[in-house]
Amino acid sequence: MNSLTKEELEQRLATFVGVDIGDEDLARDPVNETMIRHWCEAMGDNNPVYTDAEAAAASVHGGIVSPPSMLQAWMLPGIEMADPARMRPTRQTELHKLLSDNGYTGVVATNCEQSYHRYLKPGDRLRSTTRIEAVSGEKATALGIGYFINTRETFRDQDGEEVAWQTFRVLKFKPAERPAAAPSEGQSSAPAKPKRLRPPKGHDNGWWWEGIDAGKLLIQKCSGCGELRHPPQPMCAYCRSIKWESIESGGKGLLYSYTVMQYPKFPGYDYPLICALVELSEGTRLVSNVLDCDPGDLQIGMELQLSIEAVDDELMLPVFRPVKRK
Amino acid sequence: MAITWESVNEGDSLPELHKKPSLTQLVKYAAGSGDFNPLHHDYDFPQSKQLKSIIVHGRFKYASLGELVSNWLGHKGRIRKISCQYRGMDFPGQDIVCGGKVLRKSEESGEKIVELELWTQNAEGKKTTPGKAVVVFE
Repeated sequence: MNSLTKEELEQRLATFVGVDIGDEDLARDPVNETMIRHWCEAMGDNNPVYTDAEAAAASVHGGIVSPPSMLQAWMLPGIEMADPARMRPTRQTELHKLLSDNGYTGVVATNCEQSYHRYLKPGDRLRSTTRIEAVSGEKATALGIGYFINTRETFRDQDGEEVAWQTFRVLKFKPAERPAAAPSEGQSSAPAKPKRLRPPKGHDNGWWWEGIDAGKLLIQKCSGCGELRHPPQPMCAYCRSIKWESIESGGKGLLYSYTVMQYPKFPGYDYPLICALVELSEGTRLVSNVLDCDPGDLQIGMELQLSIEAVDDELMLPVFRPVKRK
Repeated sequence: MAITWESVNEGDSLPELHKKPSLTQLVKYAAGSGDFNPLHHDYDFPQSKQLKSIIVHGRFKYASLGELVSNWLGHKGRIRKISCQYRGMDFPGQDIVCGGKVLRKSEESGEKIVELELWTQNAEGKKTTPGKAVVVFE
């Protein structure tokens, strides 16, 4: 199949939103103790309410129950999943194929949420329907560009009562290009990393960058009123003195604000790129980067420690890392 | 050991649950759960080749969070909801530490509800599967 244009592809994708992927699916087996035991063994979960009738009778459940997070195991197709040719065709497999045919061959799960109205007991027979709730626009991710697909599966029992639901999100992506073959001997593996943009250095701020080159983070101090200021400026905003000196920062700071750059990716930078406004203990703030920190672990007010590091053979930059507390 | 509604406080930590699934355990899990995506057991599958490894089932990590909560809850209540984000991949033979803490304790329309923050953490300290749960006490 020929690749569609992005507009054509997105028009096709839109036709999948809001539709059920197929008819109601019936679990092959009723909830049963044997499958529960195998599942618990695989998990290493020894909770007796799943396998020991006596202990289970004494619990709030009043008898053996299926582990709530085993929910999907009652509906998954099993070994057929390893062979797409054997998978029952649905609107969902059609949607995945449409994306695969257009280069979005990778797939990863990104989110899962399950809600349980009651725990399942041996003898329950599940049935479920799945709806495609949303297909995102094209997104740039660490894995490559792709589309997020949200589905919602509703689970009912033999009496038609809803017992649980699940929302699941996957990313169908174009795998980002990786270095192709192993480098031949004597050659460096990757092309030289492009250099970052150079900071503008002028009459009013060149001295500050010379401080960085010397491994010092300097802060401008008004000789008239003693007020500290950053970025460097020729005149004090408080007393209008044009006389100034500088002090060296102790290097301790707090995360005042931040943003995580994802897209577009400028050459020469590592992503995700955490751009932070750091408030130094001296009181001034500067824009810098936070390194060695998962973006999910960022917290306003977290303690940061300065380090002045060489980015390439010409450029030194002040950067910060989280202060680890034991 | 067993907790009660009265003994739960916001900020409490859940006892950690340690997992280190081997390839064998993941094969058992594929059979036990019906999740036979080859990325979780077949080293020759294209995506596994690209990653140079198979990866731990997301559902295994989700279920580990469920086990963490059930162990903490004992037989005093029920899990109503668990959600998680798959932020990073985990690999067989590597440590996965499941942890959590109590975010909120409240009584709503006669129900005793506790909200939990959950996560799995890898050997490098990265939280690869952050999540949340809602449990209801008897």
